[in-house]
Parts: sequence; C-alpha cells; structure tokens
Amino acid sequence: MSTDIVVGTLSGAFGVHGEVRLKSFCADPAAIADYTPLTTDDGRTINQLVITGQLKGAFSVRVDGVTTKEDADALRGVKLYARREQLPSLPDDEFYHADLIGLAVHDAGGAQIGTVKDVMNNGADDLLELSVPGKSDTALLPFTRAVVPTVDLDAGRIVADPPEGWL
Amino acid sequence: MARSVWKGPFVDAYVLKKAEATRESGRNEVIKIWSRRSTILPQFVGLTFGVYNGKKHIPVNVTEDMIGQKFGEYSPTRTYYGHAADKKAKRK
Repeated sequence: MSTDIVVGTLSGAFGVHGEVRLKSFCADPAAIADYTPLTTDDGRTINQLVITGQLKGAFSVRVDGVTTKEDADALRGVKLYARREQLPSLPDDEFYHADLIGLAVHDAGGAQIGTVKDVMNNGADDLLELSVPGKSDTALLPFTRAVVPTVDLDAGRIVADPPEGWL
Repeated sequence: MARSVWKGPFVDAYVLKKAEATRESGRNEVIKIWSRRSTILPQFVGLTFGVYNGKKHIPVNVTEDMIGQKFGEYSPTRTYYGHAADKKAKRK
C-alpha cells in the first residue's frame, strides 16, 4: 500500500502578489486544504494552504513561504502529496481507489487472475479494471459482493469469483 | 421528440432471446450484447449484461432503477485515467 498519494498540482503564479494556481484531484476539490501538511517531490513541506478564490478548473491559493510572483512561478508543475493516514477512515465496503490499485486478484482456488490497474464507474456500479498476465487488453470486474467477496488490504489481495467465461 | 407510447419500448429481438435463455438456464454468466439502443425491461432485472462500448464489453448489473433507460447509458465509450487521490469506490 502506498503511503503518499498525489492530491493536486501547482501550476504557477496567479496574479503578482504571490498567489499560486492549484489544480485539485480530490473528489471534493476544496478538500485538498484539509489534508495539510502536504509534501512535494523535492521533499518540501507545505503546512498551510489557504484557498483564496475559484478559477476555471482550479483554485487560487496562498502557500506558506510564498510571497512573490517569482516564488509562485518556481512552483509550476510541482505535485502535492498527502499521507495516506491523513485520509478519513471509511465504513465497511467503501475503499479508496489508491488502496485498491495494485492489489493482486486471485480466484477462489487461489490462482492469480491479475492485478488492479484502475477503478472506474459505468454510471451505476464501480468496476475494477484488471491487467491480466499474457493479455494485452484489460478485463473489467463489477465491484459487487457477489463477484468480489473478499478485499484484504493488509494482505494486499482480492478474492474474486468472476461470472462463467467472463475472463 | 419522445417515442410514441403505443409502440412500446424498443428492444432488439436477440437481446430478449439471450436474456430469456440465460434466465432459464439459471447460470451465472454475463450476456454479451452489442445493442446499446435497446431499452432495459423489467424482466432483465438481476441479470448481468456485457454491453459493448466499441472496444470491449462493460459489465452492467441490471437493477430496478435502470428500467426504461438504454443499455448504452451504462457503457461509457471514453476512458479518462485521472489521479486516484481521495476518490472512493463502494462495493454493492
């Protein structure tokens, strides 16, 4: 399980007073401010992030230690990481995509089917996209209790019972 | 303009045949269909269809809420791989 999760990226200065343009990847974009302290690729820690305005597809923010346009421009392209432990705990049967991605998927007999590449949604249900060894295309599994009876995050494995002839 | 009520919902005949055959066999299998234009009927509830999106079949578990919609609405044709961030998935 990864410990750092990308939650947003900084894309340069907004204005000339040291504000920075921030693109959030969170389900609720404004929630990124709740996950401070955030870290960057180069190990810098951002302890405070104040959202000052809403832009098209982004926010303008004030970052601690950034007071000039030059400082803000230097942050262009910097990714922001939150610690996995900072995300709130979830009820049973809800999982973070970040926890599911990369887990090994086994069938009821214990044989490995593949690994979770991504989690997508078809408008009604969540689907696990699996990369299957020996196949160029991915396979999709409905994320339901019937098809995916066991998700063991500690062991890093999922037990699946796919419908006949599906994979 | 909406479809005339007297015509009833449109469903490709092969979809009905496949659904009926699967229900009678009682097997747990995904019914592969290419007909995105077919309406979801009450007799499809509880079955799983693999609805073609132009590249692959997307599994769709039919529930009561879906009745009257078209199969194509549950089989997205474009994929966007965003960042996982704090997004959640719910197991139903």
